[in-house]
Amino acid sequence: MKVKRFLEKLVEGALLISGSVTSITILLIVLFLFKEAAGLFNSPVIEEGYVLAMNKSNPVKKLTSYQIKEIFDAEITNWDEIGGKEEPIEVVRLSDLTKYYTEEELGAEFENIPAKASELTAKHPGIILFLPEQYVAKNFDGTLLKHEKLQPGDFFGGNEWYPTASPSAQYGLLPLLLGTIWVSLGAILLSLPFGIAVAVYLAEIAKMRVRNVLKPLIELLAGIPSVVYGFFGLVVIVPFLQQTFLLPVGETALAGSIVLGIMALPTIITVAEDAMRNVPRSTKEASLALGATQWQTIYRVIIPYSKSGITSAAVLGIGRAIGETMAVLMVTGNAAVIPHTLLEPVRTIPATIAAELGEAPVGSGHYQALFALGCVLFLITMIISISIEFIGKKKY
Amino acid sequence: MLTIDAKNVDFYYSDFHALKNINLEVEQNKVVAFIGPSGCGKSTFLRILNRMNDLIDGTRLTGSVLIEGEDIYAPGVYVDELRKKVGMVFQKPNPFPKSIFENVAYGLRVNGIKDNTFIEERVIESIKSAALWDEVKDKLKKSAFALSGGQQQRLCIARALAISPKVLLMDEPASALDPISTAKIEELIYELKKDYTIVIVTHNMQQASRVSDKTAYFYLGELIEYDATTRIFTNPKEISTQNYITGRFG
Amino acid sequence: MKKEKNIENNTNSNNSSIVRGSNSSKRWSQAIAFTIFKLMSYSVVAILILILGFIVSKGIGAISWDFLTKAPEDGMTKGGIYPAIVGTLYLVLGSSLFSFPIGIMSGIYMNEYAAGSKIATFIRIMTNNLSGVPSVVFGLFGMSLFVNTMGFGDSILAGSLTLGLLSLPLVIRTTEESLKAIDFSYREGSLALGATKLQTIRKVVLPMAFPNIITGLILSIGRVSGETAPILFTVAAYFLPKLPTSIFDQVMALPYHLYVITTSGTNIEASREIAYGTALVLIFIVLLVNILSTILRNYFSKKVKTN
Ligand SMILES: Nc1ncnc2c1ncn2[C@@H]1O[C@H](COP(=O)(O)OP(=O)(O)OP(=O)(O)O)[C@@H](O)[C@H]1O
Ligand SMILES: [Mg+2]
Repeated sequence: MKVKRFLEKLVEGALLISGSVTSITILLIVLFLFKEAAGLFNSPVIEEGYVLAMNKSNPVKKLTSYQIKEIFDAEITNWDEIGGKEEPIEVVRLSDLTKYYTEEELGAEFENIPAKASELTAKHPGIILFLPEQYVAKNFDGTLLKHEKLQPGDFFGGNEWYPTASPSAQYGLLPLLLGTIWVSLGAILLSLPFGIAVAVYLAEIAKMRVRNVLKPLIELLAGIPSVVYGFFGLVVIVPFLQQTFLLPVGETALAGSIVLGIMALPTIITVAEDAMRNVPRSTKEASLALGATQWQTIYRVIIPYSKSGITSAAVLGIGRAIGETMAVLMVTGNAAVIPHTLLEPVRTIPATIAAELGEAPVGSGHYQALFALGCVLFLITMIISISIEFIGKKKY
Repeated sequence: MLTIDAKNVDFYYSDFHALKNINLEVEQNKVVAFIGPSGCGKSTFLRILNRMNDLIDGTRLTGSVLIEGEDIYAPGVYVDELRKKVGMVFQKPNPFPKSIFENVAYGLRVNGIKDNTFIEERVIESIKSAALWDEVKDKLKKSAFALSGGQQQRLCIARALAISPKVLLMDEPASALDPISTAKIEELIYELKKDYTIVIVTHNMQQASRVSDKTAYFYLGELIEYDATTRIFTNPKEISTQNYITGRFG
Repeated sequence: MKKEKNIENNTNSNNSSIVRGSNSSKRWSQAIAFTIFKLMSYSVVAILILILGFIVSKGIGAISWDFLTKAPEDGMTKGGIYPAIVGTLYLVLGSSLFSFPIGIMSGIYMNEYAAGSKIATFIRIMTNNLSGVPSVVFGLFGMSLFVNTMGFGDSILAGSLTLGLLSLPLVIRTTEESLKAIDFSYREGSLALGATKLQTIRKVVLPMAFPNIITGLILSIGRVSGETAPILFTVAAYFLPKLPTSIFDQVMALPYHLYVITTSGTNIEASREIAYGTALVLIFIVLLVNILSTILRNYFSKKVKTN
């Protein structure tokens, strides 16, 4: 008898442990994602193993990642644009040293580079020199930028995602975030009207027999893997858009929105239909008994009554769209620029992670930046989950 | 002209034969009570009168039902027009999740009335007819759910009255209410009788005898006896009726 | 003038018909609205049929015995997809070994031991949250935890665990719902006969819930077999002619295979035929899963009724 009692307790304990697995998983996801991502704000702005050197008299002692990129892209050409003196910027890379010194001066084994680099920096007030660390002289005559850390603003406020840029990789979230939002909003705008229409049709209009055919078909739609949707989008929707709108490329935000819209349909339909079916029969009958037509009953009673369910459906649909990876990766063209219309290529957060994680060395700034993207995505979907929980609790 | 005239009505839920050869006539401005044991088909017959059973898949009706001389099951009939003329009050109060005012205005709005002063007059008039005015006159904009069960039921009656039906169907309108609210509803039925023809389903014998002019006793889908209420309750023809009203029934 | 008449009609309609009112606008708007809804619903169905029809008609030509049983050849422009099929099978099996027991046990705990309690609510919220986490985040997580931290490397083990976690919420939810559907009186009946809680669950509750749980498990298999993002960095191999020999090996997988040969293969155009075939196999799995779960549900529900 005691053994039996003990066994019961044991099993209950085991069941409780199983029950806690999802919570632990969420905890671990948070832990691991944030751990890997946190390194990003500890990683140097300048490419590993290099320094930037400037003339001592230059009052600019700090440069952000974005400023460095703009300088080396010749978008910023004068120090006064970034808070310095009126002085043209002179960009010098290691290979450019030969313009200032002969090969003999630099030495057969380049043994004189440290001295010359120091000299050059001291002589040119407007210089910015991009130099491997090994060529920095002990008594270097100039300001050295090497311990600059990437700032949160560079990530959260950054306008460019260009992880292979040199000397300073760009990890700007904004283009990816906006790309994600554009594509998802487009998707939901396309699928919400259809989703609600189908939900109304299934819940209130269709005959039992029609419903019994349509329901399983829509469940089927939900089961098709996202790569298959992506593939379909790639071979059908992308060429179609390209021809219809006479575009240079068909891989656009719109293609992503269409594919995602189709993919979000089953979620929206199911949740919204359930909400409408939950409207009490007596309330429906009350409306009909007052001489309202079925349609009046639908839009005056059933839809207002199931508002929170329909909202959940929409939010859930957006959530699905925001997190969807493969299909979007395959049809949106993946250009990491801030989009202006739906007919341009864009790149979303999940697609970026999927496309680039394979190439980013473990532990590098790029790798950490991708995890930071993962964190952003995770937070967005958590907010969505929690708000659905909240919407679901509200009655009308 | 008879207000309600059902001839040889048979009704089926898919295979289930719920009503068998019902013949029943109701004159204008009379109150008729339907009594009978649970499951005998009272609600089913009541819902035939405003075609509420149309909402249930697989139902079938034979025979004819005339209201004011018109066959309500004839082809080309608009059910929404019918239901406007034949109002219904349900067993449980079922107000809409809207304000008290909007609940009563609902029937007017769905029937295409846009004139707001008219709607307001009509709403007030109906709430007064339903003997609810004194209790709600200060909170017409409040949610109908803030009312008590008895008040909600009278609101539902007001809602039905607002569109000026000719017939009012009531399916156990007081069964979910306390004795005081029940008494109020019964008083109200007595008042409403002047303007409406009323059919009421009830399990309460006293209620039937207090409010109705005629009583119909149903049993297992058949109309066993239909006569003046005084007659049914004092001297029924059928032994089955007798058993039921004296409570000797199963 | 018109207004007056309208009111007349709606209030004192002494001379108007009971059943044939003049208010036709509301019927018109109903007819129009319903037509629109119907058209929109059927266009959704049309899209589905278009997708299915397109892939079936283009892919059917690629399907052959060799396609299903041979390895890819010539930079994946020829040959079959056998290693990918096997890889997907391994991943489905591996993830199920992980998610089925844990998921079913969680479901039992939530409905039988903690029903209505704060713990159950908490687990439910967490499970819902987990099911909202995008699959690519699972991929990141799996890479960080299983591949790097635990040192499994890109392997069947890491991929299966990642996929298992991904499908866990679905398994938990279907289990909980299946158990909830069983009337409480059955449990009382058994408990009243002196059976312990555990015995009641094993002998009465689980057998009754079994058909619905199975349906959920099958659907979760369908989901796992089509996931790509979680396996990108945890197990999937671009090309591996050999089959895996241990759980620490990489494998090819159907969805990943479809992705690579349509986007980054050596010769995308030449792989199209293979791509259509692979897509068809994936669709076929989904169809199979749906049909199987429907049949099972119907079969068992009939059996329960006649018992
Ligand atoms: N929607 C339905 N589908 C099938 N059968 C039904 C349906 N509604 C009612 N019935 C059956 O029709 C018969 C009559 O039901 P009805 O509701 O009219 O009884 P009632 O006299 O109103 O009973 P109560 O006093 O309990 O309200 C019952 O046997 C019932 O089981
Ligand atoms: Mg009844």
